[in-house]
Amino acid sequence: MIEIEHLHKTYRSGFTMKPKLALKDVSFNVEAGQVYGFIGPNGAGKSTTIKVLTGLLNFDSGKVLVNGISPRNVKSREYIGYSPEQPYFYDYLSGRELLRFYGKLVGLKGAELESRIGWALELLHANKDWIDRRLRSYSKGMMQRVGIAQAILSKPKLLILDEPMSGLDPMGRRDVREAIQQLNRDGVTIFYSSHLLSDVESISHKVAMIVDGKIVREGTVDEITESCGVEYHVRTRQAILEADLPRGVSLTGHPQEFICSDDVARDRLLGYCLSNGIAVEKMDHKRPSLEDILTEEIARADA
Amino acid sequence: MQTLNHIGIIALNTFRESIRDKILYNIGFLAIALTLFSIVLGEWSVFDRSYVIKSTTLSVMSLSGLLISIFVGISLVQKEIQRRTVLTLLSKPISRVAFIVGKYFGLLAVVIVHLSLLTCIYYCILWVTNSGPTVSLLTAIYLIFCEMAVVIAVALLFSSFSSTILSALFTLGVYFAGHLSDQLLEQVRFASRMGELHGASSAILEKAAVVIHAVFPGLYRFNVTNYVVHGVQLPDMYLFWNSVYALGYIGVFLAVASWWFSRRDFL
Repeated sequence: MIEIEHLHKTYRSGFTMKPKLALKDVSFNVEAGQVYGFIGPNGAGKSTTIKVLTGLLNFDSGKVLVNGISPRNVKSREYIGYSPEQPYFYDYLSGRELLRFYGKLVGLKGAELESRIGWALELLHANKDWIDRRLRSYSKGMMQRVGIAQAILSKPKLLILDEPMSGLDPMGRRDVREAIQQLNRDGVTIFYSSHLLSDVESISHKVAMIVDGKIVREGTVDEITESCGVEYHVRTRQAILEADLPRGVSLTGHPQEFICSDDVARDRLLGYCLSNGIAVEKMDHKRPSLEDILTEEIARADA
Repeated sequence: MQTLNHIGIIALNTFRESIRDKILYNIGFLAIALTLFSIVLGEWSVFDRSYVIKSTTLSVMSLSGLLISIFVGISLVQKEIQRRTVLTLLSKPISRVAFIVGKYFGLLAVVIVHLSLLTCIYYCILWVTNSGPTVSLLTAIYLIFCEMAVVIAVALLFSSFSSTILSALFTLGVYFAGHLSDQLLEQVRFASRMGELHGASSAILEKAAVVIHAVFPGLYRFNVTNYVVHGVQLPDMYLFWNSVYALGYIGVFLAVASWWFSRRDFL
């Protein structure tokens, strides 16, 4: 559904048109039917990539295809629904008038348009009385819902959402999460960026992590977290002196609790306990979260 | 067909946006007030009353049309970019050409409504003051409309790549150059014939005047107020050829605006 290969994008700003490389050799694929999360810190290049996909930004080099068509071609947007980060709309219109406007632009009219608006509002739990009020009175959460509603009006094959959950309260986040999952069950491919990594972990089939304009990790959440190794937490019934700890094992701060950096260190510690008659009370394994990995990648990029 | 549909929808939305703009009402009320004031001017003036009313009102139409074309026209594209509404709009399967042309027709519709309203008031005043309302006055109003149609295209062209203030200044510059280019060329040629300009400076000045005259739209062609008010017959096909002239410039300006707008990045 989305193919990006060796994408480069430079911004030029200021009087001297000083160049700044925003995307450096970005490559990834999104297959049809996936929910694909795109994560990274502010300014990493998430919105730039999304705007290239939607034809809002030109790019320097590389190959970008949306459903097999270059985003430079207007036809590519026939298959896309897009909601920008912090959507802004014509505030002199009501939410329903705005949806009618966008619906007409994608070729809907009459009863079909009205029924599609009703469907989109129901899906986002936005079919309330505020939808007929002027947009200038809307909260950020209401605006976000209207933004997603206008994006799905055409029943697109690919839905691109830039930070769809920002500005939403927990109920709103749940509604949007459920809407994304429902649309995906109906066959819509979803590509979205988010800062809320717990949501990304829970609903994405695949994830790409972008830091400083480069893709640093890509794969399923399990693949990414497993590739960073598993830590083992062991608690014994007796204390062990730090000097006696096998290689790869460290204290957590408590004399009876230890962290083993990998399974070899874990086996060394268990062997030590066995040979010294120390009983093991509890053992857990812990994978790093996406947040841990992202933090580590940001620190690496800064260094 | 789909492109025409997009142009229509954008034009309608632009029209709806513009008629809710406070600037439009301020300009409209000012124009109506000045039109009514032309009755008083007619009474005070030493010239023929009907001449003063007719020429003043046509000038008010031209001036208010210009203000709408510049101030509303320029803000149309700039507002879309600054408020980032352009992001959602252009992510739909709409070409940037359709966006620019739709904006153009939306504002053109606003100018048509404005001029129609003033025309109704104008004819009422002429009828009430018994100043000889003739159909030929519509010729001048039609040419004011043609002039505004060109000015809106100029405003859209500049607003497709520069800031609001710069766009307003550039458009005003084109407006004045378009009105004065004819006189400038005549004056330079006259001075040259009279021997007031010599050698290289004469040739350079004359070439510069010829270039300005050729490049800028000759907006002076659309000002026929004096002829119409005095009942002077315009040449045959004058309206037709000037309509073609205006369409030519509008086409070029919109094409350049669309081309420039298509190359823009939207952050």
